Amino acid sequence: MRRLVLGFLMLALGLWQTVATAGTLQEVKKRGFLRCAIVEASPGFSAITDKGERVGFDIDHCKAISAAIFGAIKIEYVPITPQTVFTLLQSGGVDIFPGGATWTYLRDTSMGLDFGGVYLYAGQGFLVRRDSGIHGVDDLKNATICVAQGTTLEQNIADYFRARSMPYKIVTFANIERAMDAYQAGRCDAFTNELGAMAGRMQGLVKPADHVILPDVISREPMGPMVRQGDAQWRDLALWTFNAQIAAEELGVTQANVATMRKSSVNMEVQRMLGVKGDFGQYLGLQNDWAYNVIRLVGNYNDTWDRNFTPLGLERGLNRLWKDGGLFMALPFR
Amino acid sequence: MSQSGVPSSRLARKIRDLLPQMLIMLGVALLVYFVVVTTRENLAQLGVQSGFEFLHKEAGFAIAQTLIPYTEGSSILRAFCVALLNTLLLAVVSIGLASLFGLGIGIMRLSSNWLVAKLGLIYVEIFRNIPVLLQIFFWYFVVLRSLPGFADSFTFAGFVLNNRGLYFPTLQIDDWSALFSGGWHLVVPHPGRFEYEGGFALMPEFLALALGLSMYNASYIGEITRSGFLAVARGQYEAASALGLSGYVIFRRITFPQALRVMIPPLSTVYMNIFKATSLAAAIAYPDIVSVFVGTVNNLVGQPIEIMLLTLATYAAVSFAIAWAMNSYNRRIQIQERGE
Repeated sequence: MRRLVLGFLMLALGLWQTVATAGTLQEVKKRGFLRCAIVEASPGFSAITDKGERVGFDIDHCKAISAAIFGAIKIEYVPITPQTVFTLLQSGGVDIFPGGATWTYLRDTSMGLDFGGVYLYAGQGFLVRRDSGIHGVDDLKNATICVAQGTTLEQNIADYFRARSMPYKIVTFANIERAMDAYQAGRCDAFTNELGAMAGRMQGLVKPADHVILPDVISREPMGPMVRQGDAQWRDLALWTFNAQIAAEELGVTQANVATMRKSSVNMEVQRMLGVKGDFGQYLGLQNDWAYNVIRLVGNYNDTWDRNFTPLGLERGLNRLWKDGGLFMALPFR
Repeated sequence: MSQSGVPSSRLARKIRDLLPQMLIMLGVALLVYFVVVTTRENLAQLGVQSGFEFLHKEAGFAIAQTLIPYTEGSSILRAFCVALLNTLLLAVVSIGLASLFGLGIGIMRLSSNWLVAKLGLIYVEIFRNIPVLLQIFFWYFVVLRSLPGFADSFTFAGFVLNNRGLYFPTLQIDDWSALFSGGWHLVVPHPGRFEYEGGFALMPEFLALALGLSMYNASYIGEITRSGFLAVARGQYEAASALGLSGYVIFRRITFPQALRVMIPPLSTVYMNIFKATSLAAAIAYPDIVSVFVGTVNNLVGQPIEIMLLTLATYAAVSFAIAWAMNSYNRRIQIQERGE
């Protein structure tokens, strides 16, 4: 009996202690690996190869963070659904969610979550059957649309169709696979999703050529790595890890030439970034060569794009560097 | 007992028996207190909003089936009501269908016709032994994939069936004062651009869930029915026959009412299980409470604690209401014992 009461008290005290006082970076270092939240299957973003390796744009970002911290890939991937990820992040079940979260006002301000920059500019589009006679979003008046639940997508459609007084019907599925299955089975006239992920999944349709993505994009979906709020160092680490990949592309440092660039580049910014000059690593709580490890193990932004999205036929569009007409401008390493 | 008062040794034993229970209660109360306080502190530290103010915010998302008026501009509270009504509609229809099917199956199993009895047995063994979620998936994908598309819909007397659902003609009253002199007209579903319009439509998701839940639970209700009838003493039937009552009257007036007394308590359990199993709706896009609330709204406002609490409380309240209604009914139909 006494032991039972004691147990209760200890459990209560244990719960009392759950407020994380240590920084996430210290925790991750102590633990020895990164806990990275991923969507289990989204071609191009997160997939498993025949050999059982995880690949994709989101996976590469998990790897980049791990490379920055450990100089090696030490990750535990935690599969999540859009419904569970916020809770998992808030409660400390994962350290970072690199994929698929659109940076919105409410998510940033009211949920105890923070974003470490934008690493993909995307938008919401529609997939329809080629023979449906639908040529643009305006043709979707009174149409039934399949969508995956727990995303900004539902709200974007509501905003867009409401502003145009267009009635529509929405069928909300627990995940993207089921929504796409239902679309394929004729339950819906259109399937909607973020364009990049949709292009990736289109390959999974029985006859991809029978379907077409409408040219209209109805929303802005700036996506970035999501972290817990209130840990400035950890957020900086997420932001600068990604920024190193953009900067590397801007400065001409690639996964292929990073070793030589480190030895021979006379560009001072490259030297500072790769840890040849200065002591930039310590300000993030990392080794001086953290960015070198990121580029060496994962590559610059273009390397990740080429590896993951080029095979899907995805254009870089807005995701090009500013000097090529895109939106990315590297924050200076200075 | 002739002895008055409790001996002191008994009192001591009573206290000794009660003490551990009180300590456990105290422990539980402390635990709850610590959990609540810690959670609040953690949430505040994380900057997560807490409280139920979000219920009054604009929902900003659409819902596929709404029994009361609802638009994207309605509040989240209204979305909650819409989802609750969807859940209740599904539960009521499933409970009704399950009872009907179940009664039929139970009676089949009691039939003196060998083939009919064996068919009843086969039904029970098949539907009772397959998880209900799989049955729902089966119905959903069969309903969805084998039904004709829009262009080849089955139409019959104003009813339409295709892969978008089952459409009914509805009565529309134009003028209540002229109700009996042509103040109404029938709205028959007619082809629109993408689907049939007008009339009332049941989503295929609803059909699959109602079928899955009622067919599965009918196997249990069938067994409950069988046990109920078997519990009625054979003499009751024989006495009724001796009086020359017809088979239907015997069933309606003698055996069924007596069987019902035995059936009600286990039926309450099945009804509550059906109600709780409606939450499987979230698996196939029927907008029930779990789907709309735990799915969409949680992602919108990011307050899992409040949302889970509200959802759990709703399920508990409705389950309790079902139990209460069934218990009252049970008390009413039980044999009223006279005196001691």
